Amino acid sequence: MQITLKVNGQVRSIDADPDMPLLWALRDFLGLKGAKYGCGIAACGACTVQVNGRAMRSCVVPLKSVANAEIRSIEGLAGQHPVQQAWLEEQVPQCGYCQTGQIMQAVTLLEQNPNPTREEIRAGMEGVLCRCGTYPRIEAAIRRAADAMTTKKAGSP
Amino acid sequence: MISRREFVLGSGALAVAVSVPLRSYAAEKAGGGDEFVTAYLEIAADGRVTLHSPTTEMGQGTHTGHAVIIADELGVDLERVSVVTAEPADPFRRNGQMGSGGSWGVRFWYQPLRKASAQAREVLVAAAAAKWRVPAAECVLEHGEVVHAGSKRRAGIGALAAAAAALPLPAEPALRPRSELRYTGRNVPRVDLGPKVRGEPVFASDVERTGMVFACAVLSPVFGGELEGFDRDSINPVPGVLDAVAVPGGAAVVGTHTWAAMRGAEALKVRFKPTPHDSLDSATISRQMRAALAPEVSAVEARRDGDWAAVAKAAARVVSADYEVPYLSHAPMEPWNCTVEIDGDGVIHIWAPVQTQDRNRNAAAAAAGVPPEKVRLHTTLLGGGFGRRLGSDGIAAAVVTARAVKRPVKFFWRREEEFGQGWYRPAQVARMEAALDAEGHVTGLRVRTAGPALSNSFSAQGLPAGQLDGSSVQTIRESRYKPSAFLVEWARVDQPVPMAPWRSVGATQNGYFLESFIDEVARAASRDPYELRRELLAHDPRALKVIETVTKAAGWGKPLPAGRARGMAFVESYGSLCAEVAEVSLRDGRPVVHRVVCALDCGSVVLPDGVRSQVEGGIVQGLSAAMGEAVRIEQGRAADRNFDTYPLLRFTESPERIETIVIESGETMGGVGEPPLPPIAPAVVNALAALTGKPIRELPLSRHSFA
Repeated sequence: MQITLKVNGQVRSIDADPDMPLLWALRDFLGLKGAKYGCGIAACGACTVQVNGRAMRSCVVPLKSVANAEIRSIEGLAGQHPVQQAWLEEQVPQCGYCQTGQIMQAVTLLEQNPNPTREEIRAGMEGVLCRCGTYPRIEAAIRRAADAMTTKKAGSP
Repeated sequence: MISRREFVLGSGALAVAVSVPLRSYAAEKAGGGDEFVTAYLEIAADGRVTLHSPTTEMGQGTHTGHAVIIADELGVDLERVSVVTAEPADPFRRNGQMGSGGSWGVRFWYQPLRKASAQAREVLVAAAAAKWRVPAAECVLEHGEVVHAGSKRRAGIGALAAAAAALPLPAEPALRPRSELRYTGRNVPRVDLGPKVRGEPVFASDVERTGMVFACAVLSPVFGGELEGFDRDSINPVPGVLDAVAVPGGAAVVGTHTWAAMRGAEALKVRFKPTPHDSLDSATISRQMRAALAPEVSAVEARRDGDWAAVAKAAARVVSADYEVPYLSHAPMEPWNCTVEIDGDGVIHIWAPVQTQDRNRNAAAAAAGVPPEKVRLHTTLLGGGFGRRLGSDGIAAAVVTARAVKRPVKFFWRREEEFGQGWYRPAQVARMEAALDAEGHVTGLRVRTAGPALSNSFSAQGLPAGQLDGSSVQTIRESRYKPSAFLVEWARVDQPVPMAPWRSVGATQNGYFLESFIDEVARAASRDPYELRRELLAHDPRALKVIETVTKAAGWGKPLPAGRARGMAFVESYGSLCAEVAEVSLRDGRPVVHRVVCALDCGSVVLPDGVRSQVEGGIVQGLSAAMGEAVRIEQGRAADRNFDTYPLLRFTESPERIETIVIESGETMGGVGEPPLPPIAPAVVNALAALTGKPIRELPLSRHSFA
């Protein structure tokens, strides 16, 4: 059936099974390859995107549940987000496969809690696995992004 | 050998062969000399510099290391240099195979890349000097230009490449002094991170081809099982499903998109043939391995220093302990997939995340019944490897599917196949014995390991009976500890479970066995485990420096808050010496790792931040395995098939602090991708034993109660 999605501010219409997970609409129907398949059971977080501002595991979110929602994927950050800048400054990724999910989770964390404590960062990132072991750098990058975003906000009129 | 010309993409380019000596294990055993692997350094007419290399980038940073070495020695800005993984061809092969592993990426390539870059620099400078009729010695190459200061003339290397290509390469070019190197030894951004952070399509799973369909594998859950048959009609009700194809090891369900193929795979009614090991389980494997620890079971000797029997007889006491570790899954975050397209000339193009290009290309050719020349393998960036992508078990089914459906196919495994198909780090047991004299000095060590032979499972030719499986005694056989007697042997207990090298390979389990046992011996002798190691390494200043450095930085011996303890371990692998101290406590019966200090002597360093990144990653992955990883085997198959029951370390369990100290001893450059991993498990185990007073002789830690 025809389903209308709002992805990264654009309205897109696709003909797909309403039970299909959002991940495959993004990857196979809309050509947005940033979100990754890792487990299919919401256990690894590689597929994380934002739905109405919340971090969701798109591998288990059926399309019918997000028909009118605001969906934001890594492509919506356009490479310009302070979290992405911090990720480069801290040289976070190794293989990189999980990192788009990590970044979307981190963006959501900072939107909900602009100045997280160390424990809040660690707990907030719990759902996204990294096999290369980049957790220490993710923590440092989130701290850096939080500082950058707070400073920017404080400096603006 | 491939001629220079085949690597010249445009006219007017300069190509220099980079010859890298890599002595194979087989050649070493036969007393043979070096074999050479080649890469090609190309300087194009537009001034861009490209290394066509057999190395694979799977996140370890090798390509950045190579770009830095070239940029420095040649004299160009780093942005101009790119490294691409070449298609398999003779010059890239070692033992007839192109592949990446063994933490070779930088340590074996450093000098050859410098030499080739210096050769290119000297002919570029000579070409400019001849053109300007000035002495070459008055010209320098910097920022991609040859400059003659006296006449203020300058020319880009692209414009000089054609003339330089006509000149003979100097046999012994002068290398730049360290003071002229702009990038080596400094913090340089990785070349592959921008696209990864922006979410650009860089992985095999992101590859798109026109008219592509998707194929989901349905493979025998029992190891090595074969397809008996399937009910083709069972997939008909699934929208978007096109076909089901019989493939080696099972079937593939083809659909117009991933979800259709996955739904079809769930719907497919499939039957597999029985195997002789349909009832195999972990308890049986454990029992068989432990039975082989008995002295009357024959074993292959791996090391014999002195006379163990005499030392044991003369000892005041002999301390003994048995250890066991389970099978481990590599669990790269990107499950296996590849994209296959057969062109109008019958050439099979494959885009795949592999560490062993020839092995995969040959498997693809065999599956299609064509010569390997008809297969073109394009290596993408890998979404993790850790040894799992050394195998070729996923490629034949992809080729068979593409030939059946006659369209480009993205063939993929679900996470359940990625876990279930095996190729694990071997399960293994060990009996450790130490002879102590009346003063508590270690006079002898005896180690017997027992388990399946990794090399028999993984190598095409297998391991003949009576021969040693090197990885089953890796790092113990070569241990720098020198008691007056040291006997190491291995008993073979084959199992039908497929195995592959897992990051740090045999050093993962053997490092845990030896280093945990050293602490047990220290406790038995009422000695400080650091002091005991110092005594065993007294003859070896390089090793002493590593353990001195790590204990000093970690505050060894200084008081800790109540409920915390330190543990240390020292493991050498892949040419580097690595010691770690872990600071651990217990919270709700679970270990908490507060701090890890690592000292790594890898000789010398190209990318300091790259080394730190590998140390952090190795510690986290090694801790992950120690804390909770085990593939449980039931009914001839993996019981753990996804992250819900095979727990990778999560953020909250990650060490709160990791400190890395790199020791540049100036010794032969060692690896950094693997050596930081093995010490973490014994360091944490030793800290826990210090806390609780109880040794931990089985991993993972989740099997133990610390309440």
